[in-house]
Amino acid sequence: MKQGKKKTAVLTGMLLSAAGIASTFTTSFALAAPTGQAVVRTKCQACHAPLEVGGWSRISESRRTPEGWDMTIARMMYAHGIKLTAPERQSAVKYLADTQGLAPDETSGYRYALERRSSVVEHFDNQKVGETCARCHSYSRVALQRRSEDDWRRLSNFHVGQFPVIEIQAGGRDRDWWDIASKEVPALLGKEKPLVSKSWEDWKKRGASDASGVWRVSGYRPGVGDYEGKATIKALGEDRYAIELTMQYGDGRVEKSNGTSVIYTGYEWRGAVKQAGIDIRQVFALSADGNHMSGRWFAADTDALGGDFSAIRVAGQTEILSVSPAMIKAGETAKITINGVGLNGEVKFDNGVAVNKVLSRTDEKVVVEVKADASANAAYSAVSIGSGSLAKSFAVYKKIDFLDIVPGNPMARVGGNGGTRPKVPVQLEAIAYSAGADGKKNTADDIRLGPVSANWKIGNLNKGAEEMKDAKYAGVIDGSGLFSPADAGPNPNRKYGTNNAGELRAFATVKDGANTVNSSVPLVVTVQRWNDPPIY
Amino acid sequence: MKRNWISTTLVASKCAAAVALLASGNAFAVSDYLVTACRPNLLVVADAKARKVVKSIEIPNTALGSSPTGVVVSKDGKVAYVIHNRWESVSGIDLESGKEVFRADLSTADIRAKAPFAIDLSPDGKELAVYVNPTRMLPGEYKVEDPYIAIYDTSAGVHAEPAKKFAAPRRVTTLAYSPDYKRLYTFSWDMLVLDPKTGELIGKHPWRSWKRPNFGEPDTLAVWPQWDTSNVFATPYYVQRTDKKEGEPGSLRAGIWTLDLVTDKVAFKDFEDASVVLFSTAINPVRKNEAYTVYTQLTKTDLNTGKMKRVDLNHTYYDVNVSTDGKELYIGGTQGEIAVYDSQSLKRLGAILMPKNADQVLSSLRLVRK
Repeated sequence: MKQGKKKTAVLTGMLLSAAGIASTFTTSFALAAPTGQAVVRTKCQACHAPLEVGGWSRISESRRTPEGWDMTIARMMYAHGIKLTAPERQSAVKYLADTQGLAPDETSGYRYALERRSSVVEHFDNQKVGETCARCHSYSRVALQRRSEDDWRRLSNFHVGQFPVIEIQAGGRDRDWWDIASKEVPALLGKEKPLVSKSWEDWKKRGASDASGVWRVSGYRPGVGDYEGKATIKALGEDRYAIELTMQYGDGRVEKSNGTSVIYTGYEWRGAVKQAGIDIRQVFALSADGNHMSGRWFAADTDALGGDFSAIRVAGQTEILSVSPAMIKAGETAKITINGVGLNGEVKFDNGVAVNKVLSRTDEKVVVEVKADASANAAYSAVSIGSGSLAKSFAVYKKIDFLDIVPGNPMARVGGNGGTRPKVPVQLEAIAYSAGADGKKNTADDIRLGPVSANWKIGNLNKGAEEMKDAKYAGVIDGSGLFSPADAGPNPNRKYGTNNAGELRAFATVKDGANTVNSSVPLVVTVQRWNDPPIY
Repeated sequence: MKRNWISTTLVASKCAAAVALLASGNAFAVSDYLVTACRPNLLVVADAKARKVVKSIEIPNTALGSSPTGVVVSKDGKVAYVIHNRWESVSGIDLESGKEVFRADLSTADIRAKAPFAIDLSPDGKELAVYVNPTRMLPGEYKVEDPYIAIYDTSAGVHAEPAKKFAAPRRVTTLAYSPDYKRLYTFSWDMLVLDPKTGELIGKHPWRSWKRPNFGEPDTLAVWPQWDTSNVFATPYYVQRTDKKEGEPGSLRAGIWTLDLVTDKVAFKDFEDASVVLFSTAINPVRKNEAYTVYTQLTKTDLNTGKMKRVDLNHTYYDVNVSTDGKELYIGGTQGEIAVYDSQSLKRLGAILMPKNADQVLSSLRLVRK
């Protein structure tokens, strides 16, 4: 892993935002940034004694994501008075994430936290740890760290010293919380989230992937649709890169973005770009072979809004990345775009879908007109071009049998209105499904057809919400399914002068020929997240 | 006989107050005074009947980023003790002069010590008991230490050190002296009874270990001391029935648990299937069967029959206290007003506004007659 000897530093901004301490960040170069190791030695060593085996007390007994290290350093600044310039902070994070990071497989299942995906209902892989830790913060915050058992215990000690009501809050006072938190949980975590792991031992032997090159991009932006494009990434040295990205949406709209990034831990891409004039953060992960990159990008000031991102390095191979739109009704004809690289050869669909003609083609994009046989059964269709193919990338359907609204447990937050926290909207989408051959929904042969446009409305979730007129006060939903919560603060027009939180139900109605398909989900509009660090 | 004693006492106290008035030239008349604290640094005295703040004192040398919490007032109404400074200091403030006459800074160079809520004053006003939760700040790490009850001599001045330390379990939320100074109640998982002189455990009223057929462990957050006029500690609780499934109607019951600080007798009454949030309870000093519980509603419960009356409040409140004559309720905590309600009809009678609408947050709402 490359590290140290840095003369300049690129500040991604991502890591420096929302960590509980104000930071100035820039995408320009700061001169004379010290090495991360030197920062740790000079700024941390006063409290964290050097160990005989190398490293420093506490610091060398844990491994974290870049965000995790940044949060710790931020706390050292605001709670323990450590003074760091922005470049010093960034280089310390880089050094620590490179030398004491998490291997890719150690972050899998929890990348939603790094990618700032909202409305995720977490799964506790250990119930005891979940009950003890995730009543105040996310479970992922724990799951994205590795520590020695002793250090997990020290973390419990810190919590009591820092958060004095921890033992008398609901979920704390009804049990021997301190015994659980200081004995049982560190023992569990020491085994399940250990400092030493084969994954990490193997991973840290690898060199950092070089991301420079030309990348073929595809993705999906909830509320807007599919996009495809190209990225040119140039190495700036020391795991820093410049990126220029062009994205074209299904409606023809083109967005260009450019900015810089840093790769931490050999694979954690953190970019800060200006995309169509908006500050965007990129949280991507490079694959082990360095030829794939995926993740999410989001607006710096409204991280609930953004898009999924996937890219492959253009290196002479044939690979299909995406098919858009990814569904066709039996008996209909449609124009379909296939995105990828090296798209040479015959274009084939199966399951009763025939290519009528190729409308246009390059190595990276093929547009075809296809017809689905009227007698075709509802089924996935593989799409192939020459030696490249993508299974389940396309589907034939007879009718939309049901809808799945995503996210399934949407949550928005009131904000603005002169307060310090912005509103947190939520983008809803209706995903169409065919029930498959058995005609029954929620069975193994269901076919995901993809997002469809819907008419959206909101209503009260329950009797209490009706009495409080939540649907009148909590926010509004637009035609794209974007729910915008109401202003923060007490509302004198409401009963009890309460705020604009509410329990809603969002309804989607989709027209499918002569049929109408409906679905709904509970939509919770809650209060601000006052403490909003990179991993909440 | 009884009436004579009361009237004699009243006359005597009025005379004493008149003398005090003449002597000090202060503006207080004999009345119920409410004493509370507001964010970020205010100790507030209000004349309850006059519905107005008569004194607002800035707590000196404190951290402005956090709120004061526990407040206790000497029986003579002269000094109020308040937890503040990120819960790491306790100051005694003379309510006449506004001067800090007592201060205990709980933290030291290597100990961060917090007093989360529990604080009480011995009946003679000479001892102050504070529950302290210390953490040792080692280089690069924190180490949780055993909590203790610090007993201060209230005449120790502004650099007070504990005169005694009593061992105490974790998660103590309430300290309460019995009026005869024979018991120091310490509410943790159970209501422990300590000898106030030695800290020795001399009794226990079960809470967590309170067993009833078909009921699980009750749950309460008892951080509001509001037994000033009744001498009855009271706290609302929720308890899950074990013979019903969670979420099933009737499975979660709400009730009120009381401890008479004079007689050392415990009583409880489940009075409804949990339907609203209940934060804190006070008992009527005249009609002792009546309990008042607040949050977004004000609930009056007859502790003998379980019968209740409930009204919506104009917003959420955390705490409640009762006038000496049992006629009025003072409802405060969070936001900037103390609402006044009639204890019989539960009709709103008025409000006392905090200076600059300052937020009372989690601070105690105490009542003293002087």
